Amino acid sequence: MLKIERASVYFKTDQGRIVHALDQVSLDIPEKGFVVALGASGCGKSTLLNAIAGFLPLSEGAITLNGRSVSAPGSDRGVVFQKDTLFPWKNVTDNVALGLKFAGVSKAERTRRCEALLDLVGLSDFARAFPYELSGGMRQRVGIARALAADPDTLLMDEPFGALDSMTREQMQELLVTVWKQTGKRVFFITHSVEEALFLGTQVIVMSPRPGRIVARYNLDFVQRFAETGDARAIKTSSDFNDLREDIRTLLHGGQDARSAAE
Amino acid sequence: MTDIVETASVVAVPKAQEPRIVEMTRFGASGSRTLAISILTGLLIIVAWWTAARLAVVPRLFLPTPQDVLTQFRLIFNDGYAGASLGEHISASLFRILTAAAIAITAAIPIGLLMGLSRWAKGILDVPIEFYWPLPPLAYLPLMIIWLGIGETSKVTLLVLAMFAPICLSAQAGVRSLPIERVNAARSLGASRLQLFRDIVFPTALPEILTGIRIAFGVGWSTLVAAELIASNRGIGYMIMSASHFLATDVVFVGILIIAACAFVFGLAVRLLEALLVPWKGRL
Repeated sequence: MLKIERASVYFKTDQGRIVHALDQVSLDIPEKGFVVALGASGCGKSTLLNAIAGFLPLSEGAITLNGRSVSAPGSDRGVVFQKDTLFPWKNVTDNVALGLKFAGVSKAERTRRCEALLDLVGLSDFARAFPYELSGGMRQRVGIARALAADPDTLLMDEPFGALDSMTREQMQELLVTVWKQTGKRVFFITHSVEEALFLGTQVIVMSPRPGRIVARYNLDFVQRFAETGDARAIKTSSDFNDLREDIRTLLHGGQDARSAAE
Repeated sequence: MTDIVETASVVAVPKAQEPRIVEMTRFGASGSRTLAISILTGLLIIVAWWTAARLAVVPRLFLPTPQDVLTQFRLIFNDGYAGASLGEHISASLFRILTAAAIAITAAIPIGLLMGLSRWAKGILDVPIEFYWPLPPLAYLPLMIIWLGIGETSKVTLLVLAMFAPICLSAQAGVRSLPIERVNAARSLGASRLQLFRDIVFPTALPEILTGIRIAFGVGWSTLVAAELIASNRGIGYMIMSASHFLATDVVFVGILIIAACAFVFGLAVRLLEALLVPWKGRL
């Protein structure tokens, strides 16, 4: 279990103003769970992910993964970033294998595992290509393969498809579901797209800014239905999907209207 | 309601000739080929030189013709000049600059990277480096000679100091260009501090470091020749200096052309190294 207990984060801006980025957030992500954090920018979702990844200490509260306290980055939590952070001097295979190399895994074993992972994300033909030769979607697939290489417990994804065009984005969502089903990883995923959140998550948490906190939680089965039927369009056009999407939109926009009225 | 305006596909017309290939209109000189223009310019300069010398616009003593220079080059090549063969002059200069470059590069890269990473390294080393590097090297050459003697040590030390600063500063700038996401990515892949330094920080800074090395060689050549003019009995700079005492302008021209050729080859070598080591530069 990945447990986040009453996590709060306070920043200080360069002007010396104190920002309450995360307020008393509690969240449990079970094994094989796929939790999506949804919200407008500034709602603290990236702050939460950075804290789970160990890039940012908490002001208050605690994060534990399988009972062990999280305080620094580690290879038990693979991270996929919004901006692709592939290393431009390494080809696709060496990028994917880097974590294994850091861990001292032998070259033959690294190659074997990379081949399997590139196969999983559909990039077998590009093993020797360099990042600057790939499209945005392909780079993010390499990013996913790289995050999975060290066989982490949890996959943390910070708006990984935010910079992709809408067609590539839908392909990547379906690919991610396949990968998630095959590897059985725990996933924490950030997005500001309502549709993406509903389609991917077994649980969706809606967050709201100033201070960043969870305002709604939904347990969903759309992703399960997609895994069984393979028909994404049928799910995304179904009435319960559409109704929920409109509900959440109202929740997000309503929050904004109320705030601007108060200001 | 929706009107379907047109669904018929465009009928392919058989082409009678090759299609006209077009591309976006460019702006600026980047990417276009300049080699032919450059060669033509070079030839024009030689022709202008030859004409000026032939018409004796300037006395022959001050401006020799291209043939004079070529003849003189052959003479020096066969008989040497000022007590040493041409090979000895060139190798003396090359030895100094290459030794100095090796020492400067070996020291400046780790020190520069460290200064980019550590508050203490930056705080301590900034003071001496910022103090000495804007000084013209010839200003402290007399001190070098007094402290280290007239031999090779003083000249090589002078060159090391001149070449160290640009490499060190570029390595620091390289570390500053390291995005925090890249560091975080490496740390979440389990990189230790040493692995982070060797596998992430150094390659990130490499393009800037190579630019620094190119600048260092430029500074190195000018410092070398100046140092040889003042305190030496071998080297291209010395050859030029002693020729000028006898108003042997053709020898001065030979020396200048040799330096130009060496500097050009060095510049080319660093650029080749860039193409080989950092093919991703500017592309990601």
